[in-house]
Parts: sequence; structure tokens; C-alpha cells
Amino acid sequence: MSLAVRSAFRQRLAASGPGWALASPAVVWLIVFSVLPIGLMVAMSFWKSTIYGTRPDFIFDNYRRIFANSLYVNQLLSTLRIAVSATIISLLVSYPIALMLSRLKGAFRPGFLLLLFIPFWSSYVVRTFVWLPILGRNGAINQFLLWLGVVDQPLDFLLYNEGAVLLGLVYVFTLFMTLPIYVTLDKLDPALLEAANDLGARPLQAFARVIVPLSLPGVMSGSIMVFLLAVGVYVTPQLLGGPSGLMFGNIIAAQFLSDNNWAFGSALAVVMMVVVLSVILSAGRLVGLQQAFSGGHG
Amino acid sequence: MSVLAATALDDVGSAAQRPRRSLNGWSIALFIYATAFYLFLYGPIAIIVLLSFNNSEVTGLPFRGATTHWYEVVFARPDLMSALFNSIALGFISAAIATAMAFFLGLSFRRDYVGQQLVLGLVLLPIILPGILGGIVLLIFFGYLGIRPGLYTTVLVAHVNWVLPFAFLTLNGRLQGLDRAVEEAAMDLGARTHQVMLRVVLPIIRPALVATLLFSFSLSFDEFIRTLFVMGYDRTVPVVLWSAIVDRLAPELPAMAVITILISTAGSLCGFAFAARASKRQA
Repeated sequence: MSLAVRSAFRQRLAASGPGWALASPAVVWLIVFSVLPIGLMVAMSFWKSTIYGTRPDFIFDNYRRIFANSLYVNQLLSTLRIAVSATIISLLVSYPIALMLSRLKGAFRPGFLLLLFIPFWSSYVVRTFVWLPILGRNGAINQFLLWLGVVDQPLDFLLYNEGAVLLGLVYVFTLFMTLPIYVTLDKLDPALLEAANDLGARPLQAFARVIVPLSLPGVMSGSIMVFLLAVGVYVTPQLLGGPSGLMFGNIIAAQFLSDNNWAFGSALAVVMMVVVLSVILSAGRLVGLQQAFSGGHG
Repeated sequence: MSVLAATALDDVGSAAQRPRRSLNGWSIALFIYATAFYLFLYGPIAIIVLLSFNNSEVTGLPFRGATTHWYEVVFARPDLMSALFNSIALGFISAAIATAMAFFLGLSFRRDYVGQQLVLGLVLLPIILPGILGGIVLLIFFGYLGIRPGLYTTVLVAHVNWVLPFAFLTLNGRLQGLDRAVEEAAMDLGARTHQVMLRVVLPIIRPALVATLLFSFSLSFDEFIRTLFVMGYDRTVPVVLWSAIVDRLAPELPAMAVITILISTAGSLCGFAFAARASKRQA
């Protein structure tokens, strides 16, 4: 570091007082209630849980148990597969809506935007629950099919499987995909499309070569958001998944809520955290983090 | 959700007069698809509203006549009424704490200081951390410290953690949009720091503050997964709903769902209205 740079840094440091003072309540809160608890969880993943409780130790047994047993590795892989599928489906479902919203004129646009938001303002517990009386044995779909006479026995495969989990995830999280894509499409200069048109591009070509590439930042931040939300989900698989649709989050939760094996649960949680963080960090190299979390708008 | 809401607001004001080229065949296809999409969003909610009035002991169809009986059952359940009170009180307290911290943090981002990027990363941490881990780390932390779970202790901390990043992102946009020249003018006219804050910054930012409070309230009101791990004896509405779903599919569940949907929607709509006012004022 050259002398000039160092003294400039020292000046910045000296001028940092008021900034730090203003930031301190939130910073202290987050260090005490987020950073320290995460640190404790990482430490506990090396501890030992017995029937007498969880004792400090430094052993790798918990991690060995995770990676020696194909059950946990497979569960992690299938959880990643479900989260990626939910992300891709959300992308396919959301993109046309974002496109349509960005093309709406006049008062229609705020109206449809608001209509898009309203369902997402309700608890996702409720919005996951709504699928039970729809997909279940006595559910709306079965009753409707019976009434039509298409089937004479209620269908049992609608609920309690991976498909139901995917449906629930897309229903609950798709707004996080729609909105960032909409924001990037909305910022797109209409003159670009006119230029493409003047240069002889057909609508499909203009879409593939102008609209899609320019909306990629929104697609990226939407995908990160939906993946993050889906990978750590607990409610959806618990309600809609049945035994075959369980995800990693349910296995972690069981260690704390029923099995009382906090050390092993911590190790599982650390594995999930590492997976999530590596996805974020690699994606964060492509788009800024704050941008990703403010709907491609920051 | 609040950030997303704030993002979309800018369009509520400015969308009106931008002419766009339409591509006819594609536009029609898009319109048909959009109708299907909105049916997908609202269909399940419509069915739940219908089921909440269904005169049947079993949650589901067929429809056996309309009744408001299930709403009476819901309002007669003491556990649900106290959960409703808990959720509303907790929502306001955690919204107030998170909004206050987010406000000062937003003010700090109007200056340049060493470690700013680190602070930003720290604030985003509770969003990056999957919700289930957000609950588990606090369960471990409070368990290790021997702090008994309680509504206004452990659950409050979990809620503030969750709400804070969203409150910050919502408020920060408005604070950065605030013209520094206004404050400087007040300073030049002899106002002291606290006077600038109370008589210049706060009045300008008030609608944004109210909007942030309301969005934070509805985030807290709907929070479930973090609460599940750190709650004690006093429960919140989503937790009571959850146990009603998991224990047995209680016939009054659709009515409970409709009531919570109405409360969350009302809170967020008010927040939306205030945020729209805030962005109009600044435009």
C-alpha cells in the first residue's frame, strides 16, 4: 500500500465515526442474534449428542455419518433436484406473465401488478394448505372428476408426492421470479425493438435475440431467490410431500423437533448452509447481491 | 415481499403514458396465458372461501349448503383468539424495532464509511440463510444460554431478524432518493443535527416509514418457520393453523385461513397505499 493510499484510508477511517454510530444498533443486533448463533451451530456440529444431552467436543462423527450413509447424500441430491425443478418451472410460468405485464398499457398495469401481489401477502402456510382440499381424496379435483364421470374412484396420486411438492413450491414462490424479470423487461428501451423490427427481425427473432438476452439479469436474480427459498423449505414437503416427497429441511428439523440429536442436526444444517452459500457466491459473481435481493432493481 | 412491493410501486406512478408496440397474434396468446395464470393464483383461494362456508363436517366438496357456522367456531376458539392477539402485538413490536434499526442503518448508508460492504452483507444474512436454519440457530443459541422460549423474548428476536433486511431494503431506496441539498439547506439556515432530523428528514420520509412498518407487520404476522423452533407456550396464528392442519384436518380450517388471508391482505394493502404516497411525494 502506498503512502498516499494509506493516508486516504486513514482519512476515511477517521470520517467513519458517524456512519458506524448510525449503523451500530442493527450491526450489534445482527452480530449477537445472527452471526454468533450461526457460529455456535457450526461449533455444535463437532459436538456429541447423547441421551444425556449435547456436550462440547471436537469430533467428526456427525459429518462421517452424513457422508457414509447414502440416505443423506441422496436426500440432499433429491432436494437440490426439487429446488432446481421448482426454479425452472417458475421461470417458465413467470416469464410470459412478466412479458405481458411489461406490455400492458394505462391503468391496466398497476391493476394487474396489484392482483399479482395480493395472494402472496398471505402466509405460505395458508397458501400451501389450500392445496389439501383441492388435491385430496375428497378434494375439489376428485369430486369434479367423479361428477363428470371421468373416473369412478377418487384418484390418490394427486397428493403426497414430489409433483404435489413442486406444484406447492411454484404456487408459493413464483412471484419472486415474476417480479425481477418484469423489472428488467420494463426497463428495456422500446426503441431497441423498433430497431430490430426495422432491421427486418421477425417478432420471434426479436424476442430471442433482443428481449431474452437483455432480461437475463432479472432471470438470474429471480432464479437465485426461488432456488434459495425452495431448497430450505419445510412446510410444503411436510404438508404435500408424503413420505416420498420429504426434503432435506424436514430431515434437519426432525433432529431438533423429535429426535433430539442437536449435534447431528447441526452438521446437517451446516451442510445445507455450505451448499446454499456456494450457490449464492457463484451466482453473486454474475449479478450483484443487493441487486439479486431487491428484485433486480438495486 | 415488501421490497418487491416497493419495486413495483414505481410503476404504479409512471406506467401510464408509455406507448408500446403490440405484436397481435402473440399478444392474444399472452393474454390467454395470463388469464390461466391468474386463475391458477386465485382459483385455490376462491375454493377455500367457498369451503369456509360449506355446511359439512369434512373439509372438501361436495358443497352441502352455506353456513357461517365455521366462522362462529373460529371466533369461539380461545386459543385462536389469543394467538390472534399475540400475532398482532408481536407484529407491531417487531415492526417497530426493525423499522427503527433499518432507519438508522439507511441513514448510515448516506455516508461513506469503512466496512460498508461488510455491513450490507451482514444485513442480507437473514435472507440468505434458509428460514429453517434461521430458526434452528436461534433454538441452539437460546438453548445453550438457557433462555426459556417466550413470545416477547425468543420469538421476538426471530421475527426482528427476519423483518430487518426487508425493512432496510424498503426504506433504503427512499432514503437514498432523499436529496442531500435539503438537509444542507437546513444546516446552512442554522438547524442543528437533531433539528434537521426531526423537522426535515422525518416529515419527508414519514409515509415511507409507515409503509415499512406495515410491510414489516405483515411479514411478521405471516412468519412461521422461525417461530416454530423458538416458540414457548404462547403461540402465533400461523403456528395454531399449522397444528390444526397437522393434528387433524379441522373442519373450521378454511374459515381460519380466510380470516388470516383477510388480515394479511388488509395490512399489506395499507402499506402499499402509503408506499405509493411516499413515492409520489418524492417524484
